[in-house]
Amino acid sequence: MNPDRPRRVVPLAGNRRGLPDDLTGMGLLDCAACREELSAELDGEGDPALRYAVAAHLTGCPACTHWREQAAVVTRLTRTGPAEAGPDLVARVLPAAPRPSRRRAAARLALAAVGVVQILLGVAALVGLIGHGDGSAMLGGADMAHMGHETAAWNLALGAAFLAGAWWTRHLAGLLPVLGVFIVALAVLSGLDLAAGRVEPDRVASHGVLLVGFVLAVAVARGRARHDPGPAPRAVRTPDDAVVVDTPPAETGRPVPPRRNGLGPVARERRRGREVA
Amino acid sequence: MDDAVITAAALAARDGDRAAAARFVELTQQQVWRLLAHLADRGSAADLAQETYERAFGALRRYRAESPARTWLLAIARHVAADHLRRRARRPVAPAPVADADEPVGVVRSGDVAEGIALRLAVDALTADRREAFVLTQLLGLGYAEAAEVLGCPVGTIRSRVARARADLVDALEQPSAGEAATREP
Repeated sequence: MNPDRPRRVVPLAGNRRGLPDDLTGMGLLDCAACREELSAELDGEGDPALRYAVAAHLTGCPACTHWREQAAVVTRLTRTGPAEAGPDLVARVLPAAPRPSRRRAAARLALAAVGVVQILLGVAALVGLIGHGDGSAMLGGADMAHMGHETAAWNLALGAAFLAGAWWTRHLAGLLPVLGVFIVALAVLSGLDLAAGRVEPDRVASHGVLLVGFVLAVAVARGRARHDPGPAPRAVRTPDDAVVVDTPPAETGRPVPPRRNGLGPVARERRRGREVA
Repeated sequence: MDDAVITAAALAARDGDRAAAARFVELTQQQVWRLLAHLADRGSAADLAQETYERAFGALRRYRAESPARTWLLAIARHVAADHLRRRARRPVAPAPVADADEPVGVVRSGDVAEGIALRLAVDALTADRREAFVLTQLLGLGYAEAAEVLGCPVGTIRSRVARARADLVDALEQPSAGEAATREP
């Protein structure tokens, strides 16, 4: 009995046919509503707000009193009956269990390798460039040496991004826009530069590492999405498995009403205990 | 049975952990089998349970743990039973398979055994709606809210179906002799 529970004023006519609108007057339950409540009480799911109405009905209704005894007998019989045991199915069904995805593991490994190569490229460029500035050709407030430093820092960062993404695949999807824009812009500019002879083909070829890394990152991120799509509001009915979880009942189309949690935890504990016993 | 453990096993199985998949089956197979034995029939329950797990494993990558894995699995089992009954209804009538546990009609048993058999027959004779609600809450020990989730209906519906199932059972078992109740349903 939960004294804090607000007294419910029966908006539930659909679920409680036969229940009178006014519960404040006692003894106004009809036999059907009374028996439904008695049944729920046997399962520890009774409605405390109806307790007095039920008691009042029982004092004036020997038939329901008798029914309660009979229902208790049936309930006891059900629960104390021997639990029939089915066969052990583990060996039979295990072949159908999902297998770890080898391709995804390989993609992650390759992504990590690309990350390492990219970091090495960045470090090599950095080491080769340090201290070589001559202050001659200035561009946007920096000489070529500084532009080289910036580029090397970017290469280093992208290598770290690949490596980290291979390890923490959860964060990989967030990196894809950055990597994608960088690679598309770089590809377009490299093409123009190559056509105008402003860059050696070897230099452009080294960008291929970035492209490979991006493709692998997309593959790993998509595999992850398939494995763990994260929270979603509802499971949906799909034609092949026809699993429905938590959708509104088909027959009424009405949304599922809020759970009656008044006695939930206690009733559930009791039930668990019974099940174990 | 611990829902959290079952759900954790299901999630690990989804990511390819075979040991977790085996644990998931071990922890749930008795309930699945019992539900199917009552919703379909005992003779087919093992095959249907196998089909349930195969479907469940196939659907596992879309499982997002928004409801406990046990509830999710029992909902699949219920669909499997419904499909089985539909398939069987389309086929020409074959004699019902006699399971080992079936008692020959007319054999007089005494005490709890007879009561238990009479009860089982009475449960089998319930209408499908009432039997589902009764089996889930009484024989599998689910709470009303859990049963509502499995069946995809409001909790109030479970409440009234369980009560009506009880009323039917009270009527069936109040017959003067359990044998009479037993012979009504071949």
